[in-house]
Formats: sequence, C-alpha cells, structure tokens
Amino acid sequence: MRQFVVRGTVCLAVLFAAISAPAQHTLAAKFDLAKPLTLTGTVTQIDWANPYVHVLMKVAGQPLPTLWAVEVEGPIILSDNGWTETSLAPGETIRVEGFAARDGSKQISGKSVVMTRTGKPVYVGTNGTPRARPVASGPTPRWPDGHPRLGPPPGQTGYWGFPTKNSLVEDGVDVQMDAYGLLKNIADAQKVAPMQPWALGLYKLRQSTFLQADPMFLKCMPPGGPRQFEQPYGFQFVEQPEFKRVFVLMASGNRNRRIIYTDGRKQVGQIQGNDDNPLFYGYAVGRQDGDAFVVDTKGFNEAFWFDNGGLPHTEQLQTIERFTRTDMGTMRYEVTINDTGAYTRPWKSTWNLKWVPGEETPYFLCQDNRP
Amino acid sequence: MSFRINGRDDSAMRMTRLFAKTAILGLAIVLTGNIGVTAQAPAPAQGRGGGRGAAAAPPSAPTPRRADGKPILGSVPGQPVGGWGAGVTTLPRGGGLDEVPFQPWARAVYDIRQIDQFEPHTRCKASGVSRQFSTPYGTEFVEVPDLQRMYIMDNGGPNSYRIIYLDGRSFPPSIAPTNYGYSIGHWEGDTLVVETRGLNEKFWMDTRGTPHTAQLKFTERFTRSDMNTLKYQATIDDPGTYTKPWTTTVFELRWRPGDELFEYICQQSNYGPELMVGSQEDVDNTRFFVP
Repeated sequence: MRQFVVRGTVCLAVLFAAISAPAQHTLAAKFDLAKPLTLTGTVTQIDWANPYVHVLMKVAGQPLPTLWAVEVEGPIILSDNGWTETSLAPGETIRVEGFAARDGSKQISGKSVVMTRTGKPVYVGTNGTPRARPVASGPTPRWPDGHPRLGPPPGQTGYWGFPTKNSLVEDGVDVQMDAYGLLKNIADAQKVAPMQPWALGLYKLRQSTFLQADPMFLKCMPPGGPRQFEQPYGFQFVEQPEFKRVFVLMASGNRNRRIIYTDGRKQVGQIQGNDDNPLFYGYAVGRQDGDAFVVDTKGFNEAFWFDNGGLPHTEQLQTIERFTRTDMGTMRYEVTINDTGAYTRPWKSTWNLKWVPGEETPYFLCQDNRP
Repeated sequence: MSFRINGRDDSAMRMTRLFAKTAILGLAIVLTGNIGVTAQAPAPAQGRGGGRGAAAAPPSAPTPRRADGKPILGSVPGQPVGGWGAGVTTLPRGGGLDEVPFQPWARAVYDIRQIDQFEPHTRCKASGVSRQFSTPYGTEFVEVPDLQRMYIMDNGGPNSYRIIYLDGRSFPPSIAPTNYGYSIGHWEGDTLVVETRGLNEKFWMDTRGTPHTAQLKFTERFTRSDMNTLKYQATIDDPGTYTKPWTTTVFELRWRPGDELFEYICQQSNYGPELMVGSQEDVDNTRFFVP
C-alpha cells in the first residue's frame, strides 16, 4: 500500500457495499421461476468453481436418497463478500429455497441457503465486512511520448472492470435492463438499436427465452467484440510499443487474450495473410488519435454473441472502438457498430470502465466447472 | 474415438481444413500423376496453426540480451516476434519411470491414465504449468520489463495466459488455487528460476498424466543457451504424491522466428464434455450436472 500513499492518487474506499455482478447466465435461463422448491439435505461436497459454486447435498428419500446440486453465486463474488470454500462443511444440514432446473435435472438455485444447526444463511449476502478496495484518481498516466498509458504505470498493477453498461444500447436510448441485459419490457426491443426486421425478431426471441441460447452459457464460447468490455471481471491492457501491439488480457470467458496490432498491417489475418477464417475476436488494428486509442476490427465469426443482451451480428460486422483514459481511474469506451447484415445504419454505444488499482483480474475460467 | 480427435489439441475445424487440403492434394496427385507434388506435402502443415515446426531454423545466433546483460527469453526488440515450439511431452522421460519416487497411489493413478486419457486439457481446461510447453502450437514469452513481469501466452487450450512476477515479491500468505498458480521468478546467472505455488489439481503436469496434488511446489529453470534454444527443467516437490522431490531431465524448446500468436478457441468444436456426461456407455461420468 505504500506506493498508493506516496503517490496520493489512490484512496481506500469500499467500491461496492456488497459486490454482486452477473457471473454467467440469467436465473431464468436455467431455472424455472414458476417452479419454486424448498429442500433440506446434508452437504456432501462444495464444488468451488467458476462460473458458479455448487453445493452438493443428499436429500433423504425412499428407497434411496437423491443427490442434488445447489447453484449459488460464483467464487469471485462469494469471496468478495467474505465467503470461502470452507464456510460450509460437508455433513452440515442445509435448507435451500430456490427454483427447480428447467431440464428436470436434480438442480436447484440457492436463493436462500440456511444452516439448520445455526439458523444462519450461507453463500448469500455478505459474511462480515467486505474488504475495502482502493479507488484510483489523479491525472491520466502517459508514455514518454505523451500518449496515455492504457495499462498500469511502471511498477504498478491494476485492471479495468466494473463497466457502467452491461449490454449494448444505442447512445441516447433510454430503456430499462437488468445486469444481464434483459429488458424489463420486451416492447422496448426495437428501441435498443437500429435492427433489421430479422435481427429484431431474433433479438426478441433471445430476450423472451431469458438468453438461454447464449453460446457463452451453453459452451463457454468467448465474449468477443464489445461484449469483452461488458464483463464484470474486467481485463488488463498490456502495451508493447517495442513490438507494436497491445494485448487485451481478459478475466472473463476463459481468460482469453486478444491482440491489437499497431504496426500498420492490413486486416487480413493475425498471421501472414489468412483471411478466410473469421474469428471470435476479429482482426484488430489500432492507432492513436489524440488521446484516444482507436481500434478497427473486422473478420468476426457468428459462433458467439457479441453482446450480453443478445443483440445479433453477422460476419459483416466491423467495430470501431475508441478507448480514452480520461483520468487515472476512468476509461471511456465508445464502440461504433457497423454491420450491414443486421442493422439499418451504423450506431454507437458508450460506457465507462473503472480502474481497480493494485489487483490482478480475478481468476475466472468459464470452463472450470464443466465436465 | 472421435472424442480424442476433436478434443485433443486441435480445433476440429482446422483439422477438417487440413484433411480437406490433404485430400485435394491427394486428388491432384492422382489426377496428374505428378509424384513431385508430394514434395510439397508440408504445405498444409505450414499453414496457420497446422502443426508448426516444419520450417528449418536458421543458424543460431548467441543468446539475445538486454542492456543490463540479462538474457531475453522472448522476442527481441527490432526483430520480428517469435515463439517457442513444443518440447516437453512427458516429465519423467530420460530417467525412466522407475526413478520417479511415486507414492503407491500416484503410480496407480499414472498407470490408469495411460489407458484412460481423460486429460482436462482435452476438454479446454487451461493447460497448467509445464503442460503448456507440450501443446503443438507452442507458446510466446511476453516480457514487460517496466511492469517487472513476464506473461507466457498459450496458443493451445483456451487461448489463455500465465503471469510470472519478476519484481522480487514473496508469496502471499494464502493463494486461491488455480491452473497456473502463483509464479515468482528470479535470475540465477543466465537462468530464470520460477517458483510456483497455489496450483490446483485440475490439470495434468504433462500429456502422460504425471500426477500431483495441491501441495505441489513447482520449480522451473529456463535457460536460453542460444538464440534458438530454451532449456527447460522442472523440480517437483509434492509430498502428497511423491516420497521425495525429483527433477526432470533437461528439455529443449526451439525458437520459431516470425511465429506469431493466433486465435485458437478450444471450445469452438470441442465435444469432449458431451461425451463425458454419458452419451458413450464406456465414458467416465465424473460429473452428473453441467451448468
């Protein structure tokens, strides 16, 4: 902490009283909200893995007990709220209130998990006082040539996270969405972006099915395009001026990396001219425009959703992203979506990201709890 | 067996393309009767991602160094970037299995894994230490001196990365276990010694399934003996698995000049998880639920 005091650019504050950020899927994507369920069982195992921690429990029954999986929050959020893998021990009896899984498997969402022995809730809310997190302030750090540093100043660390938008909405449009990008009112769908009729139909379908078909939820496909900057767990920029490239090292997805080339190459492939292989992160080339780092990306495939809320895109997608670090603690992200296959005109969405000083991105592997 | 093909270190798409190219090539040979074409057979292998290492390495230059004299382990400023090819495939090689001080249970696990190769890597889990140097597409060492750290970028697996701190820090009192653990490096002469703690049990240390537990203290020695050669040696100190610490033979990774990182998304056509949850009768059903 000494460096923070010396620099005077960081103060301690509780960033969020109780950290809650969407880890992976909407509750309704997996669980049937019309099927509330209460179960009491004996804990057999804690599967402390991303994206969601599961408590395995044995529920008494005839002729044999059944084994159930209770899905609670992810390890990152639980840890931030003071919970650990050992907060609940095998052998404890718990009472779980939640919803049954849509697919009929023995899974229940753990909206409320209470230890019957103590009457205390576990893996819900906070356990003690959440730790204080430093908040960064001060002027934009710069390279010797004067352009803003996208990453940490020399000798420091930190990452960008906590986006102020969790899903794409055209600038100037006022619609209500939850943290997963689900509209409060499906009738607002056409306002979100200038979609072509087929795209609007697909967007409505995805919304009305609670984003169940999200390839990131189903298959851990990467959150490519602007979606990588909508993720709660953030990313790091690593700039390598000597090799004329910038890495985006993500916490979400599967800790993927994206490379933005600043060496003037053409957008025909990341390696020596392959241009027939559309990518999840596209072919990205960057340049400096005043204080903004401008990234032009195309060559996307259609095997992923480029937005948490399920806005469609096609292989014709081109994004122009402008990253402007307005001060030490703030990055403004502006993305222009140009996809003549899905939208009637180019459109733009803007949000801010917050610098989390002194920390690495949390460890998140979507694949972690898969077989 | 399609599981192994798809799930192994290849994207099925890339494999399909490679097969297609090979088939077309084969057809061309049949049609033209021009056996000379076969001399061009490595062409698919030199394509992006398809089995690297076909290009002949140039004569080696001395170990590249920074202004302070320390070896550069990654790309050299002023030259095109490059990466390290696959080298390590199995840790006990050299000394032989009998010299590995397995505890009895560990030897049994090792033997079972020779038959039942459900390696986590084949299901798109992050490679983990030492295993990352066995993927066919290699790795790149990205050194960032002003942040006093080095990243090791994987091409295979889930397109991820590992951090090695070079700022003289010590290990934190508690480390949440991960596939790459918490790595701290220091220089001993021309050798970068990297110590890693906080490893989980969700990966194999090598392709053969040499086992470990979360008690593992993993020490690696990286020595770039010339421009094109990185010597690699690991010491495994895991009282949960072995009766005493042991050290592998020295493996060599070869420099691939101009070999850039590329996008490789293991999940794109990986069917391992579906097969593991019971669509094949003989498949181990280790987890009964999927998220």
